[in-house]
Amino acid sequence: MTFSSKSKYLFLAFCLLPTFLLFLIFTVYPMLGGLYYSFFDWSGTSANKTFVGLDNYIRLWNDSIIVKAIINDFFFVFVKVIGIMTLALFFAVALTQLKIKEAPFYRIVFFFPNIMSVVVIGILWQFIYDPNMGIVNSLLNQVGLTEWARPWLGDKTWVLPSIAIPAIWAGIGLFMLLIMGGISNVPKSLYEAADIDGASEWQQFWHITVPLVWPQIKTSILYIIITSLNGSFVLVQVMTGGGPGSASEVMGSYLYQRAFEDFQFGYGAAIGVLILVVSLITVLVSQFILKKEKVEY
Amino acid sequence: MKVVSQILVRIPLILWAFIVIFPLIWMFMGAFKSNAEIFTSPWSMPTEFSFTNFERAWNDYNIGRAFLNSFFVTVLGSFLTLLLSIPTAYALERVRSKFGEVLINVYLASMMIPSVLGWIPLFFLLMKFNLLDNLWALSLVYAISHVPFTIFILVGFIGNIPKELEEAAVVDGMSPYGILFKIVTPLIKSGIITVTILNAISYWNEFFMALILLQTESKNTLGVAMNLLKIDAQYDSAWGVLFAGLCIAVIPVIVFYSIFQRHIVKGMTEGAIK
Repeated sequence: MTFSSKSKYLFLAFCLLPTFLLFLIFTVYPMLGGLYYSFFDWSGTSANKTFVGLDNYIRLWNDSIIVKAIINDFFFVFVKVIGIMTLALFFAVALTQLKIKEAPFYRIVFFFPNIMSVVVIGILWQFIYDPNMGIVNSLLNQVGLTEWARPWLGDKTWVLPSIAIPAIWAGIGLFMLLIMGGISNVPKSLYEAADIDGASEWQQFWHITVPLVWPQIKTSILYIIITSLNGSFVLVQVMTGGGPGSASEVMGSYLYQRAFEDFQFGYGAAIGVLILVVSLITVLVSQFILKKEKVEY
Repeated sequence: MKVVSQILVRIPLILWAFIVIFPLIWMFMGAFKSNAEIFTSPWSMPTEFSFTNFERAWNDYNIGRAFLNSFFVTVLGSFLTLLLSIPTAYALERVRSKFGEVLINVYLASMMIPSVLGWIPLFFLLMKFNLLDNLWALSLVYAISHVPFTIFILVGFIGNIPKELEEAAVVDGMSPYGILFKIVTPLIKSGIITVTILNAISYWNEFFMALILLQTESKNTLGVAMNLLKIDAQYDSAWGVLFAGLCIAVIPVIVFYSIFQRHIVKGMTEGAIK
């Protein structure tokens, strides 16, 4: 830019400052505040705020529901990574490589749940699982598997997988598109050469597609991990509220209940810090595991 | 052999398409059914197409009000996001400096931090400013939460504009403000459309911040109102109304999706890859 330096700095300030100030107030301050509040015992009114040091964290350590919630969170991470990646990879390869005429139809349909609200998805699936009017039990009864029918979301063993299914249902489209984008960048000549060499489609998948699309696969896995740890509680809170008992509790839903239902804001803030720490560690570890040099042929 | 594999590969595709579509069809059918029909014949078509359930959801269960509130928050939030992001994205892309690098990394890093962490302080911050239960404040909170993502996308689009255009405008005596709003902004129109579609969808669908930051029924947005409708439906056994409510929440998204399908697909893949 060739303006005088004073007007240049004025312009830069005009561009950057208002946004950054609001960002400080509404994003940075709340995050630091979360850390700060986690050292207090606080019911929400300013009179009842006492500094308790690490007490909230000691309580976290001894809280059996927290252990349960962390395990459940990782159950969702694990099942979602496996379920979404398997299906998304398969669909992406099928829709790009196998010359299917109606591929755009599938692409549009598979992506649709991605743009639905989690509340709508949660409520819809809650009724799909409903013991009386739901379609799951009704289907099982019709095909004669009556003994399989059960109150899916009220059953301690089945509640977690039952919530994981809509999470996968709603998640596949985005990652399928991501991987399709990666596959379309793989030079066609590689597959032609492999065909001439007599490589089977399965071999082509493992030796050409997977290595060349690895950056997209890696991004997808990390993205699933982050969004699951930071956001899967919305579906849990809508579908079961963490129940039955605390069978489907995850860290985020537990935070919401402690803070905004029981008004233990200090303890809630400590759970927030725990979510941050757990997700950062998980992302770092998975980044290390998924590390693999980018392949270029 | 080829024919067999063509058929085999379609089985999972058709099956999954069915698994995606059927729950939605079931939801639409349920919206037209009476309670008795819902319980006795979950698979059948409704006997008559009456819009009673839709009317009751819209009028008696606050979905109409919530629909308008969601619309307000979505439009205002999307507009504020652009207002806050375009100047920053321009300055960060065009004036490369140490400070700019730090700033862009601060914005990017904030996308990695779970927003749950900030909800408790955010709640008390808005309470202090007397902004709880305020749709303007909710729109602003939404906008700021998406500023980093929006900047991230727009910087890429601004980077593709040839610098010569701006240099020519400077020669013509245009101020930097004029260049930003009259030259750069129109040139990144497709980026603005893409990112706004993505932002608008997530504002329309947002639930938890609205649940925490809104308090009276007349202020509720669709997510919160649907959650309340679900609880009320259990007391009133108003199942058809509940399904109608779900349809009201989903229909705008379906319409929006069919219009902007191409942009959404492009935005999702391009935005996420980089």
